[in-house]
Amino acid sequence: MRDWAGRNLDLVGLGALLAVVLVAYQRLDPTLLEPATVTILSAQFLPLILAAVAQTIVMLTGGIDLSLGAVLALGMAVFAVTAPDSTGGVLAAMALALVVTMLAGAANGALVAFAGLPPIIVTLAASFLWGGVTLIVLPQPGGHVPAGLVRAYNQGWYGLALPAVAVLLALGLWKLVKTTRFGLALYAVGGNEHGAFASGIDTRRTKILGYALAGLFTGLAGIGLAIQTGSGDPTIGAPYTLNSIAVAVLGGISFFGGVGRMRGTLLGALLLGLLTNLLLFTGISTFYQMILQGVVLVVAVAIKTLATRERVA
Amino acid sequence: MRGKLSRRALVAAAALAAVLTTGACNVDSGNDTPSGSTTSAAAKALKVGWSTIYLAPSWMQQTLKMLEDDVATLKSAGKVASYETFNANGDTSQQIAQIRAMIQQKYDVILVDAGSSTALNPVLEQAVDAGIVVVNFDSLVTSEKVIRVGTDQVEWGRMMGQWLADKLGGKGEIIAMNGPAGVSVSEDRWKGAEEVFKKYPDIKIVANVHSEYNLAPASQAFASAYSAHPGITGVFSQGGALSAAALSTLVKQNKKLVPITGENYNGFLKMWADKKSAGFSSLATAQPNYLSVIALEAAVAKAGGKAVPTTITVPLPEITDENLDQYVKTDQPDDSYPIQPIAQSEIDKLIGA
Repeated sequence: MRDWAGRNLDLVGLGALLAVVLVAYQRLDPTLLEPATVTILSAQFLPLILAAVAQTIVMLTGGIDLSLGAVLALGMAVFAVTAPDSTGGVLAAMALALVVTMLAGAANGALVAFAGLPPIIVTLAASFLWGGVTLIVLPQPGGHVPAGLVRAYNQGWYGLALPAVAVLLALGLWKLVKTTRFGLALYAVGGNEHGAFASGIDTRRTKILGYALAGLFTGLAGIGLAIQTGSGDPTIGAPYTLNSIAVAVLGGISFFGGVGRMRGTLLGALLLGLLTNLLLFTGISTFYQMILQGVVLVVAVAIKTLATRERVA
Repeated sequence: MRGKLSRRALVAAAALAAVLTTGACNVDSGNDTPSGSTTSAAAKALKVGWSTIYLAPSWMQQTLKMLEDDVATLKSAGKVASYETFNANGDTSQQIAQIRAMIQQKYDVILVDAGSSTALNPVLEQAVDAGIVVVNFDSLVTSEKVIRVGTDQVEWGRMMGQWLADKLGGKGEIIAMNGPAGVSVSEDRWKGAEEVFKKYPDIKIVANVHSEYNLAPASQAFASAYSAHPGITGVFSQGGALSAAALSTLVKQNKKLVPITGENYNGFLKMWADKKSAGFSSLATAQPNYLSVIALEAAVAKAGGKAVPTTITVPLPEITDENLDQYVKTDQPDDSYPIQPIAQSEIDKLIGA
């Protein structure tokens, strides 16, 4: 038991923090656990959670994705430009958007794997590239998302919080992928690339697939944002790049690859999202809100670092 | 062993500190709740919030100040109970969260300076459906369910273009200084100007320069266009920093001061006032800061049951050689936007009260 707590100290710490935030939130907004509020909150958090999942996958390979916001906007734009009012059409538009973002991710991965360039450089360059492509697809805010879908997503569908369901499905998908040979290879490549290569893992293929998988989740985040806002906006994605990194770091994902678990990322995203909302409720000046967010992030990382050191010692 | 223990203590202390930090804001909020309930007790005084995509630029700071002054007046008149500013810091998703929080906290009036012309539509319409008065100003959304207070950017370009064409007597060579390509404000202003210039075949646009609305890049862009076309007789500029860049280049190179259109960017106004005796002439306009005041007054009128038009187009001010002295503020920094306050009777006329 103590062993378990020791190994999961960072997750326990995050969970405790989240509990405190939830209690404070409940006091300010007693409707927190009602289905309507869960729908509203999950609608708001879905893009950040999925973007953070994507960032986590890239970070597990030892990389970092600075093009995430641009690819998210690209997926959003492709979906909003192509989505018609029919159900089949919407699904086709989603599929198209996801194919585009997966290809964008795979292209990032190929550059990292074959050109041997540092991920930070590749994805920084890619952020301009995909940002430009997005502006060609959608030069100014617009596009179309069926109004019924927007309503169902934001206000619930027969009382069902669709965004929460979507997040659970996406996390289930990750859980499935993680148990495959590819999932194990992903952690191995991030943890020790030479070791992984020596033990027969195709490290290049693993990286490309990893970035493509990240592209899939980024695309899902973009589609979610399009449905939430009822439109596409070519410039809306940018803040998600740094926010997703902040969430992943908060969730205990290592910058050096191979270390970290998706439940940490989920806790991190919920914590950051709820904390932001909580501060909106308290009426603290927005400038102090930013300071407080920074403090929480630094504290969380400090806990994580100290806890990890403890384990090694 | 001892090292291990102290580290563990440190971890615990850090965790405790984190919990306390969050606990602290909980206490703050506890103090807030009672004041919130007193506001709803006062029958008609309104709970007002402004969500803005940026707060840092000096234009926004001035807008906030004008708004707060008006809030103070309305508070003493018993019409506004509380006021809060929300800064989304460039993040549209954050702005959506802010507006949602305002809906949940039962604000009576939501003012919005939008970060996206489409992405806020669903949440703003939700606010309207919840019975909240939503007024959008400056950077506008496309939704027709909210009251929108803005200026006509095409008219801006038309006004500047017409003045320049008249000044040049319908013929000459000009450089056009526009904002970044693909930015809708820039496209709209140029559209209006182009309409005018098409009517004057003898006015040649020898260079159409795109630049950020910033002094340094605009100066570089103008200098290279000017060195290729030193014989120009005028400059169409659609923004204050662009105008300042063009004028300062002419002054620095000691060249003939041709007419340049402008904006109420104080750096440009100062230079204009300085060079007026040397024969420099301009016409400037402004995106007036009092858009926020008109928005608030419209919201209060609407909440009071009055009929308010859903689209309020505020006339563009005209700064000329004659009234320049009333605008320019020599004691204030270049990066400020001097404006004359708008008369209450004007506001009442605009909001149809």
